[in-house]
Amino acid sequence: MSCIVTNLLSKSYDNVTAVDEIDLDVKSGQVFGFLGPNGAGKSTTIKLLTTLVQPTSGSITILGINAIKYPLKIRNQIGVVLQQPSYEPTLTVEKSLEKYGMMWNVDRKQRKDKVEELIESFDLQEIRKKKNEDLSIGQRRRVQVAREFMHEMELLFLDEPTIGLDPSARRKLLDFLKNKVKTGLTIFYTTHVLTEAEYLCDKIAIINKGKIIAVDSPNELKNRFGNEKTIKIHMAGIQQNLLNLLSEIQDCKIDFNSGTNITIHSNKSELVLMQVLQLLNKNNIIIEDLSAMPTNLEEIFIKAVNDSNASSS
Amino acid sequence: MHPVLRLVNRNITISINPGFLIWQIIFPLIYIFVAGFAYTSLIDDVPFENIELDYPTYLATGMIGFNIMNSTLISGIIIWNDRRHGMFEQIMAGPFTRTDYILSNICTIGIVGMLSAAIIAFVGYPIFFDSIEFSAFTLPILIFASIFGSILFGSIASIISTRLRSSEGFNVIINTVFLFFAFVSTAFYPVLGTPEPLATAFYINPLTYLVDIIRAGFFGTFSNFIIIEMFVLIILAVGLFSIATRLLTRLDF
Repeated sequence: MSCIVTNLLSKSYDNVTAVDEIDLDVKSGQVFGFLGPNGAGKSTTIKLLTTLVQPTSGSITILGINAIKYPLKIRNQIGVVLQQPSYEPTLTVEKSLEKYGMMWNVDRKQRKDKVEELIESFDLQEIRKKKNEDLSIGQRRRVQVAREFMHEMELLFLDEPTIGLDPSARRKLLDFLKNKVKTGLTIFYTTHVLTEAEYLCDKIAIINKGKIIAVDSPNELKNRFGNEKTIKIHMAGIQQNLLNLLSEIQDCKIDFNSGTNITIHSNKSELVLMQVLQLLNKNNIIIEDLSAMPTNLEEIFIKAVNDSNASSS
Repeated sequence: MHPVLRLVNRNITISINPGFLIWQIIFPLIYIFVAGFAYTSLIDDVPFENIELDYPTYLATGMIGFNIMNSTLISGIIIWNDRRHGMFEQIMAGPFTRTDYILSNICTIGIVGMLSAAIIAFVGYPIFFDSIEFSAFTLPILIFASIFGSILFGSIASIISTRLRSSEGFNVIINTVFLFFAFVSTAFYPVLGTPEPLATAFYINPLTYLVDIIRAGFFGTFSNFIIIEMFVLIILAVGLFSIATRLLTRLDF
């Protein structure tokens, strides 16, 4: 079942098109990653989907409800962690969780239990009595994300939720989200940290200049954009005239000027690797280390955005 | 619980903190008991309408209006704080409408205004109880003044909150407004005897209307002029509230 469906969704501000006729179809129970460079239209899309701003044109259906006609119905069933920090400076961590639950009409007993559960899950024990204004950026962000779980929801929007978090807090949050998805929650997730998207997301859309340029699962995106593999070879000693020898090899791009490292980029990596190894062997060059790098999401992201920029210019 | 009540609950929790209460109680008490009695050696009786009041009595009743203004200006900046700390956007992404948010702010401002008026009336009562002329109108007039005074000053703070973006600009404006309202009014001294331009400036200031109405309520000195002041207070409160609501409705993210 589709949780979010948009059709030709657009938003313009003073002749600038922030979101340009995007079509999305997010299935229930999955983590949908929304990636894009700065200013690509990610946050505007989230604001449109969470009914904070009205679209210039197009339609939005969230949880089967027309979001343009019935924004309040949507907001009653979703959770939103926006990119900008939001907090009440004078409240303590536990008081701000409790008050947020009250704002969502969660009953007192349930609120109390939830506060304890979230303080445990988000490692907030040591700062539970601290005021929000006295917290570090990362601690405040943890409270902001934890707070959203004070109420029940079917769909959660997370706009770069790991900003300011240390690696351990980040991993803990991602695992917490993975567990929540297992209980049926759908997550719309934007991030700049592509390893996070790779770890968490079932499906990924890449947006650039307001347009969706790719939508697929991380593996399919790799197949589509990531045929080229990278092989790194580290040699025992400096080989000055190797560049001439390597120039004979076809179907690849080889980075080597001098020194001890060769980096090979090729769509036919296995074939090229064989040729390089033969050549090194023939010239009695000793290899110290060899690694083949699988295509990662970062490379796909950069390639997709560069392709899109090239085609639009 | 209704969404407006939930937001009022939250607004009151974030507004009322020890600093706010000290500011609301200690500051007016210093004015009433220190300035009020210290200036008695300089200021004899103060004329108000057709009666004469001793200065501590005059000042204590003026402080009720002053405190309504002071507390509602502070409550009115809830919007500013919400915008500054990202809570306005967060609340609007939750199960609330803009109308809920606006109404909750007005209710908060009204409650805080009434409470602060009651606190000062209570602590100042020993000073002015000799002069009080209770009538059937006393309480309704005081409630009227508290509500419309709160809406008026709360709306002014809301308008400033929606129009400004920088903290520096906001602080300069809100402090200037506070100084003008507090000291260019009849809260501390009567119009009679002040230079003409200052006397005129007193009546540009809505706090003058508010404290005149409160004093009329306490001392039973109703005149046509007080009734005109009540109408001016209503018109200003409704007008400024409409502007504040309009600006808040148009506030984008």
